[in-house]
Amino acid sequence: MNTTITKSFHVENSIEDVWANLTNPEKVVVCVPGASLTEKVDDNNYKGGVELKFGPVKASYGGLITFTERDPVAHKMTLKGTGTDSKGKGSAEMVMTGNLTQKDNGTDVNVSMEVSIAGMLAQFGSRLINDVSNHVFDQFVSNFKAQLSGQEVDSSLSAGSMVGSVIKGIFGGKKS
Amino acid sequence: MIQCKTSKAISGMGHSMKRKEDIRFIQGRGHYVDDIKLDGMLYMDITRSPYAYAKIKNIDISEAMKVPGVVAVITGKDLEKYNLHWMPTIMSDTQMVLPTDTVMYQAQEVAAVIATSRYAARDGREAVKVEYEPMQALVDPFKAMDPSSPVLRTDKPGKTDNHIWHWEAGDKAKTEKVFSEAAVVVKEQMHIPRIHVSSIETCGCVADYDKINNHLTMYMTTQAPHVLRTVFALVAGHVGLTEEKIRVVSPDIGGGFGGKVPVYPGYVIAIAVSFLVGKPVKWIEDRSENLQADSFARDYHITAEMAGTKEGKILATRFKVLADHGYTDAAANPSKYPAGLFSIATGSYDYGTAFVEADAVYTNKPPGGVAYRCSFRVTEAVHAIERMTDRYALEIGKDPAQLRMDNFIKKEDFPWHSPTGWIYDSGDYHAGLQKAMDVVGYADLRKEQVEKRAKGELMGIGISTFTEIVGAGPSKDFDILGIKMFDSAEIRVHPTGKAIARFGTKSQGQGHETTYAQIIAEELGIPAENIQVEEGDTDTAPYGLGTYASRSTPTAGAAAAVAARKLRDKARKIAAYLLEVSEDDLEWEPGKFFVKGAPEKVKTIQELVFAAYTNFPQGMEAGFEATHYYDPPNLTFPSGAYICVVDIDKETGGIHVRRFVAIDDCGHIINPMIVQGQVHGGLTQGIAPAMYEELIYDEAGNILNGTLMDYLVPTAVESPKWETGHVVTPSPHHPIGAKGVGESPTVGSPPAIANAIIDALSPFGITHLDIPITPFKVWKALKEKGAYGK
Repeated sequence: MNTTITKSFHVENSIEDVWANLTNPEKVVVCVPGASLTEKVDDNNYKGGVELKFGPVKASYGGLITFTERDPVAHKMTLKGTGTDSKGKGSAEMVMTGNLTQKDNGTDVNVSMEVSIAGMLAQFGSRLINDVSNHVFDQFVSNFKAQLSGQEVDSSLSAGSMVGSVIKGIFGGKKS
Repeated sequence: MIQCKTSKAISGMGHSMKRKEDIRFIQGRGHYVDDIKLDGMLYMDITRSPYAYAKIKNIDISEAMKVPGVVAVITGKDLEKYNLHWMPTIMSDTQMVLPTDTVMYQAQEVAAVIATSRYAARDGREAVKVEYEPMQALVDPFKAMDPSSPVLRTDKPGKTDNHIWHWEAGDKAKTEKVFSEAAVVVKEQMHIPRIHVSSIETCGCVADYDKINNHLTMYMTTQAPHVLRTVFALVAGHVGLTEEKIRVVSPDIGGGFGGKVPVYPGYVIAIAVSFLVGKPVKWIEDRSENLQADSFARDYHITAEMAGTKEGKILATRFKVLADHGYTDAAANPSKYPAGLFSIATGSYDYGTAFVEADAVYTNKPPGGVAYRCSFRVTEAVHAIERMTDRYALEIGKDPAQLRMDNFIKKEDFPWHSPTGWIYDSGDYHAGLQKAMDVVGYADLRKEQVEKRAKGELMGIGISTFTEIVGAGPSKDFDILGIKMFDSAEIRVHPTGKAIARFGTKSQGQGHETTYAQIIAEELGIPAENIQVEEGDTDTAPYGLGTYASRSTPTAGAAAAVAARKLRDKARKIAAYLLEVSEDDLEWEPGKFFVKGAPEKVKTIQELVFAAYTNFPQGMEAGFEATHYYDPPNLTFPSGAYICVVDIDKETGGIHVRRFVAIDDCGHIINPMIVQGQVHGGLTQGIAPAMYEELIYDEAGNILNGTLMDYLVPTAVESPKWETGHVVTPSPHHPIGAKGVGESPTVGSPPAIANAIIDALSPFGITHLDIPITPFKVWKALKEKGAYGK
């Protein structure tokens, strides 16, 4: 079960500030709702976890987060996260690529997220995966923006609001 | 139309006698496997793989063992110690009972948790921790056939590809010649999708091993109890469970449809566990396990071609099949027919030549290939031929009903030898289609269609005039694991003239307790209500191959008639003795023998049976019982003419089935009410794949509709009003002229629906859509063809 979502947005911060946050695992991972960092293996590899809820189905993935690309000249980064559900119910993989360009006084951020899920969640969540991923991504973007403007980030996952948002997405004619 | 030879009191053939079994079913007193509760019984639940293809790195059972009530967790490694981790399939392939190192499909069994309650077993199942190393699954059968694809069955020494078998029928050279010279050739690529039988009762068993007596009683949901007893003895004979130590009991079954023919790993694990712990073990699947892991049906990719003249004479057909069997060939077919009876692929039409070929392939999907309410792949053949007949009619601009009339095998040409080697017993296809056209008002519908098209409205009329091939089968060609496909009946009449009859078949809702009794009533004149029918206990019933493929009436029903006739012969001898006349002077009327010309000199069957115990001629064997093992001389060939009328909402793609007329020819009818019920059920299971059902897998082998929330089984809401009728051409070789009917409607109706929908869409240049034809598919096709403007 795969889904790819791309989002672009503009922030008023300088490209170097944005780049610093985007490539710092302690900053970027906490912007992903439900995600946490538990251990630094080396500069490129970290251990962490993600919790996802699809209605009654809850999955908690523990795994490895790896920076496979950090190009400070082109301002391009690729982050790969792989994890398996702690109860052996399946696995998830996410590849996030970020690309920054200087624009006016700020920075254009282009982020894409490719998520693939296998197992229970793929079975039960196939109709929702796109909407849920989209919602997670929206929350990531708003967290990332908040972080850049110096605010505290709430990385907890709100299942209720997620389902509500998905339902709004389905019935509100939102193109995903 | 149906003339009864017996009175209503006897209720032989042709009487719409109410089903004897319904007295218990409608009061909730049926006795299913989950109703069985034994002292000290343990419960089993199964941990299943979330991956379609993965290495098992480790199975940690420690947390599961801590769950209160859990007594054991069994893995493949445990079974390996007893060499019970693999088992044979009916198609002589091999299948894991529990894996030792690799899982091959999502939802495959990985570990079995045994507990003192069902809840504890489920909790234990959740606590088993399995560490996997996922691998890239092979899901697309065409890709799996590619020589560069990795080999899935690395357990088979020397296996270098994913190909299972190649099989062909018909005359290849002759067919190719006809195709190369034909004025018209039509071709479509079609997929008959992977579907599931979804019977109301899931699969399950209670394995009860008695250590003291070294005896296993296996209560289970099986359509073929005797064959399974033999299979169990073959699998477990080496640990001391030989065939006389095994009793298989198949209690009431809530629907089988072919899905309860195979041996599933759960059954074998339950036996192994009961054997090891010495206690009864119950295993009952839940709904999703049933849908995700049990045998699928269909999944044939067909390249279908038909050649003909410009005027509408069919000359040849050519079908090339790729059959996706999942990770092992666990289909249920007669041994010599790896693609079942797919070679019936010339249908109801008289033409010279055909060639069919099939290749089977392994993929990372659940294994199977069962005949879902059909006789071994005949559904796939019928869909291809009936779709192509319409496709051909469309190509040359001829009315599809007329084209069929012009190409039918004629009534006087039976027995008819088909170009792929079958001998059709009887039929009157012209009469069937004419009757269906009269009932539906065909000519008026075509006029209405012209008017609607002028207004831009979408209306379609679809026809399917199919021939079934059932009653497997003659011992010269048909066996399962070497066991010939006969079936059996044993009739014992008690001194007071009441009988018990036992059979090698097993009803799953077909109404055997009534129809078999009616056959015996017809032949012996004992009232059907006084004949108790029993099936499903291998300790008491005579050996038989079971109920599937519409074989019960053609085989066991025939056995009942022949056994009853043996008893009638005995009754005649006793009557001659009692009436002091020669046997030749006696005349039979259902229920009594009387002296020719002196009807007052009479002995009823009850008097004659009593005499068989109390006053029989010197030298005659006492008692009144007979057994017959019936080996059918040929298959039977039921047929049908179905017409479906649909209206399609152009804006939404919504499909409304306005009319559905089904005229069936199943030969002589035993119980018209039961036949009608069978036809209604079968038609509903035909509309299912035509419009709703398909098991969908993503590229990683995840099933995307693994619950009945997403896998749409039609209900009464989706079912149209069925209009049924009959043409009767008795089977000439069957003792009572019956042919079997349970599956005809499932086999014949999907192409009628598909043809109706395509007929509605054909003005837009749409020539084919794969089933299930959903509103979205219709809307998309119309959009692609510019039906909504650019």
